[in-house]
Amino acid sequence: MSQEAAVLTAELKRLDDDILKPAESFPTARWAACITFTGMLAGVFGFCFLWTVFKGIGTWGNNNAVGWAWDITNFVFWIGIGHAGTLISAILHLLRQKWRTSIARFAEAMTLFAVICAMQFPLIHTGRPWLAWYWLLPLPNPNGIWVNFRSPLMWDVFAVSTYGTVSAMFWYIGLLPDLATLRDRATHGIRKVVYGILSLGWNGSNRAWSHYEKAYLLFAGLSTPLVLSVHSVVSFDFAVSIVPGWHTTIFPPYFVAGAIFSGFAMVATLVIILRKMFHLEHRITEDHLDVMNKVTIATSMMVGYAYLTEIFIAWYSGVAYERYAFMNRAMGPYAWAYWTMVTCNVVVPQLLWFRKIRRSVILLYPVVILINVGMWFERFVIIVTSLHRRSLPSAWDMFSPTWVDIGLFVGSIGLFLTLILLFCRFLPTVSVSESKAILPGAAPGGGHHD
Amino acid sequence: MSQMPEKFRYQGLPSREVEPRTPPDEYSRREAIKLLAASVALASGLPGCIRKPPRTIISQAQSPEYQHPGMPLYYASAWTEGQVPYGMMIRTVDGRPIKIEGLPGHPLNRGASSAQMQASLLSLYDPDRLRNPMKGKDKAKWADADAKVREALQGGGSVVLITRSSLGPSERAMVERFLRAVPTAKHFVHETAHDGARRTAWKEVYGADGEIRPSLSKARVILSLDADFLGNDGITLKNIRDFAQTRSVEDGGVKSMSRLWVAESGMSVTGSNADHRIPVQPSKLAGLAMALLETLEGKAEAAKAFAKSAGLDESVVGALASDLAASAGAAVVLAGAHLPAAVHAAAALLNAKLQASAHLEWCASPATLPVSDPAEIRAALEGGTDLLILLGVNPVYDWPGGGFEALLAKARTSVAHSLFADETARACTWTLASSHNLESWNDTLPEPGVYGLCQPVISPLWDTRQEAESLFRWVKSLGTDGELESCQDWHDFVRLEWKKGVLQPASDFEYAWESSLRAGIAGAKTAAAFPALNESKARELAGQSVAGGAMQLVIQPHHAVLDGRFGGSAWLQERPDPVSTIVWDNAAVLGHSTAAKLGVKEGDLVTVSAGGQQAKLPVVVQPGVAAGVVAVTLGHGRSLPGAIGDQAGFSVAKLLGAKGSATPRFAGDATVAPAGGTYKVVRLQTNFDMVGRPIVIDTNPAELAKDAQAVQKKRHLPGDAEIHASFDYSKGHKWGMSIDLNKCVGCNACMTACMAENNVPIVGKTECALDREMHWIRVDRYHTGNPDNPRVYTEPMVCMQCDNAPCELVCPVDATAHSEDGLNAQVYNRCVGTRYCANNCPYKVRHFNFYGYTGDWLKDPVQELLFNPRVTVRSRGVMEKCTFCIQRINEVTFKAKNEKKPVVDGAIRAACEQACPAAAISLGDLNDPASLVSRARQSSLAFLVLEDQNVRPNVWYKARVRNPHPDVHEPAAEGQAH
Repeated sequence: MSQEAAVLTAELKRLDDDILKPAESFPTARWAACITFTGMLAGVFGFCFLWTVFKGIGTWGNNNAVGWAWDITNFVFWIGIGHAGTLISAILHLLRQKWRTSIARFAEAMTLFAVICAMQFPLIHTGRPWLAWYWLLPLPNPNGIWVNFRSPLMWDVFAVSTYGTVSAMFWYIGLLPDLATLRDRATHGIRKVVYGILSLGWNGSNRAWSHYEKAYLLFAGLSTPLVLSVHSVVSFDFAVSIVPGWHTTIFPPYFVAGAIFSGFAMVATLVIILRKMFHLEHRITEDHLDVMNKVTIATSMMVGYAYLTEIFIAWYSGVAYERYAFMNRAMGPYAWAYWTMVTCNVVVPQLLWFRKIRRSVILLYPVVILINVGMWFERFVIIVTSLHRRSLPSAWDMFSPTWVDIGLFVGSIGLFLTLILLFCRFLPTVSVSESKAILPGAAPGGGHHD
Repeated sequence: MSQMPEKFRYQGLPSREVEPRTPPDEYSRREAIKLLAASVALASGLPGCIRKPPRTIISQAQSPEYQHPGMPLYYASAWTEGQVPYGMMIRTVDGRPIKIEGLPGHPLNRGASSAQMQASLLSLYDPDRLRNPMKGKDKAKWADADAKVREALQGGGSVVLITRSSLGPSERAMVERFLRAVPTAKHFVHETAHDGARRTAWKEVYGADGEIRPSLSKARVILSLDADFLGNDGITLKNIRDFAQTRSVEDGGVKSMSRLWVAESGMSVTGSNADHRIPVQPSKLAGLAMALLETLEGKAEAAKAFAKSAGLDESVVGALASDLAASAGAAVVLAGAHLPAAVHAAAALLNAKLQASAHLEWCASPATLPVSDPAEIRAALEGGTDLLILLGVNPVYDWPGGGFEALLAKARTSVAHSLFADETARACTWTLASSHNLESWNDTLPEPGVYGLCQPVISPLWDTRQEAESLFRWVKSLGTDGELESCQDWHDFVRLEWKKGVLQPASDFEYAWESSLRAGIAGAKTAAAFPALNESKARELAGQSVAGGAMQLVIQPHHAVLDGRFGGSAWLQERPDPVSTIVWDNAAVLGHSTAAKLGVKEGDLVTVSAGGQQAKLPVVVQPGVAAGVVAVTLGHGRSLPGAIGDQAGFSVAKLLGAKGSATPRFAGDATVAPAGGTYKVVRLQTNFDMVGRPIVIDTNPAELAKDAQAVQKKRHLPGDAEIHASFDYSKGHKWGMSIDLNKCVGCNACMTACMAENNVPIVGKTECALDREMHWIRVDRYHTGNPDNPRVYTEPMVCMQCDNAPCELVCPVDATAHSEDGLNAQVYNRCVGTRYCANNCPYKVRHFNFYGYTGDWLKDPVQELLFNPRVTVRSRGVMEKCTFCIQRINEVTFKAKNEKKPVVDGAIRAACEQACPAAAISLGDLNDPASLVSRARQSSLAFLVLEDQNVRPNVWYKARVRNPHPDVHEPAAEGQAH
């Protein structure tokens, strides 16, 4: 048995080395080049953010007809991205889907960073963001200012902040054993101290593991309803209003499906690069991509179904405003955006019926990129085409973005990627402890690979 | 003016170097804001504080009579708008004028006000006003200027005085004295938007110089021949009121309603209100009128035959002829001021035949002087003059055909009196800074025998002098006019004139003078018989052929800036054109078919040529403009100091009959050719189609005769389903508004009144182009039917103060909430600016302050005085909207509460309501069953806009009633019964 033990130890060591290598080695030139680029994009975000605060919302393309445009489009887009992470880490954990292990950590991190990006927009889209203290942090205060709990924007505050908090906790708890591994393997003093503090005194005892498992399960349980609730609440921003094109009961499930759809596409987008960049092809395999793509096409069909239902209901309801809103989407001045959305979200994903495409990184990549594009356009179409031609035709107008709008969107991608790159550099992108648990030798009958 | 930060300024063309602004004169400013300073000093200076106040404290003992700190004080005064003398009532607070209303007792405007009158307040505080006399580019002293003028006057050389046409009686008397005192002087009158052609024609056919004014309140059939009498031709405020009276439809009272026929070239405010509109080239109008006359004289088919030959709608012209024939004594014909004599003669013949004199008033002493022929002025100046005095005119900008600079240069000394360093002022050797109307003494002649009295309500803000004061001093300094020795200044001279004139019968002059000051008006109307028509002369004139080619040019004064004199006013530049909704610009307005024929589209630049002159303008395609007509407006393309109006739009002065034509504002032989290139013209409204939504309901007498509840059946009532019980508003007040679409003519006066009352900022052309205008009230326009001759609906939109307000539900910070008296309150301090409320508002009446639009106004110590102290000045990032003038509601209700009296209906008047010349708007208590608004709600014509949204608005509209002639086949009325 000792030989087997030795083999296992060697295997474990190899696994540690594999996954922890980026965190333990000097950054590669490639990484440095990437973060320089994304850091500059994040700088663009910062600049545009400050520009907006100092100059006003007038620097954007928004107007009296189109009160929300790229700001809330970006918000919903980023919140949606986050959903795949929680779904993968929480729901699939509860469902004992072992294949999730190799992408869960990364997906969770992505969730957190997407929520961070998303949270910038509700803050900055207000005309006076310096007053955010009293509604984004609605605490009883000496000014006696209280908020309106009937407003869906207030529900958003709670939904998104809860989601952000729980996602962060869940992610961090999952990280504890790995942080301890990093601490234990650390050769450099500072690393030892930092990882030591971060690992909260993890000692790998049975007691620690037992608490850990319980806490992890608990957070998985807590996160699961959030996957459904957050985007439902976000969809209330639209569904609760009386704007034709927004005021529709299908929005909560439609938004959740769309969020998971976009989230999985984003996970695939990033993971494909990540596994190549950090040589993790044998940890995150074609099998993983295959399973994820099945989820993607399923949610794509749900989203397509929602598109059709919306149109049907608009016709069936007999409400002229509703009918006009959908006719205008498909045939009005923003028809190009609508058809971009339909093509990217419904037509293109049909390619995923082919096993070859699902498993081929080269063929898959354009598909997931287009899905990301399509899902951004979905939110743009919902928001802008509904607002630009509302109930009173005298007040119709058009929206076109300014450089600040573009800077904020592109910059938020930069911010997101910068956070991802920092994460890849300093923390294990695949859960070391969980990977060990699914090694062929770890459990009788082996892991999921066969 | 420079109220706007650089970024909002008009940026269409490269900016011109602006002369540095003269530093404010310390003494003048102290004078200007002494009362304000006093109140500040009194409020802040503690008794024990020994720090010397920075400015002289004026004791409250010396404050104006009846002045209470913070309380408004009203002064009656007079105002000449273009060429029409109106009366105004000025609201002052702590010594500064903050709002202008119409003078209630005035015979012409009866309490209503126009946009120009409202906006004159803004020009008082305009930081770009001339602040002192200038010699060339240097600051000068009045004494030096006066000495220079006296020297020239005494020199015996040739003197030319050019004034505008709207001189008041005392000013005219002063000019006469001037001419007596200086025998070598010649006086000319210069105007561009004048009615010279019409007045000359009247003089010929009626044998006397005078003005015919419509008096429409009893007219039943009105035919306008290109006369925009509801827009900008003549005494429009009175015309609108009279016309609205003829359109008033109470329940069941449809029979007496008037019918308006408009045969016009462009698309005007009047045309928008027509029951039947005949788009026609101006050259055909005389023929049309004569054909109608022939029909009235028994040649039954003449009108139809003419319609056929002229390509007009035969059935409409035929019906018009039979309507006129059936309405002798109740019909009247009006012809536009710009038209050639033949049309006026034909209209006079028609009016004589129709016995229309009951609906026309002969005004033997018109408010304006006859305009001089530009050729005469040219002749007087061409040989060179010793002294050229220009009072309140701007010929360098608007000289017909251009080129006044060369004439000006020939004068040895040229003196211009002006509010601004305008084009002419900059070209003169001496520029004298004029006082504003609100700083001046003057009088007007609104009606024969009726005098308006203009009094200053603030001492001059700067080192300025009114034009008449200068004239007075110059004449007095000559020492030849003994009567002037008794007068210290111009004010004394006006008193003298009144003592000898209108107040002459009064036993106690001082008492009568005081009373006149309070009333703003004195004297009694002296009626004059309508003169007999010289029929043979009229027939001779009417028979003159009017040259008319394939493309005809019509030049009208701009609806807001008139002939350009208000070009520096931001409120007027940003007030949309009532027909096209263009702001900050003018354009070559073409009909659909004409534009298609020329192969141009909106925004393309074209060259409009007439009489050998040409102007480059952008195209605007406006439904309803007759084929083969290009309509342009005066007043743009100015070059003013400051940003407002500086090169906004295009000057068309060159096109004004360069060859000394009798009809400078009409050219029958114009051409329009694409000039290449485009230009961004901004319309505030870009879609004019109702897309079948319940926005405007219209009806007609036939429909109402069949079913008095026809309008009610067209309403889209929402279901009764209510999740929550409604709030009980039955106690106390519940404020509501009624807007009568049948009275509203769409003049947009309410928009400027609202800006003035509620400190609404202007945003500039670039921001308007982005749909960020801030107007709290706007007038929407919709077209239905044939795009070449659409039916037009105008609909004022304010905040509806909905009971189920969708904005209130979605605001995360409770910045908008409902009050117990039914108002949708907006709490600016709470607002964080999510814009969710605006997204959810079906009426789009909420406006977001995207930039700190008001910022620079607050930085200017003079401009700052403009603000209404009872209305919060909103900052950047805040949502704002109509409040039903809550400050006015509170002013009245608080007072009533203190005095333990009920609030009387009509005591509270919103700014828009107060300005409205048609009396279409009424604010009142819906809990008071006798209030106008309650009665409007109960009317069988009442409806709500977008009623099916179930937001329960509190602005009750009354349906538009059209009165089509039974012989004309009309498409169905708007809104469908179900």
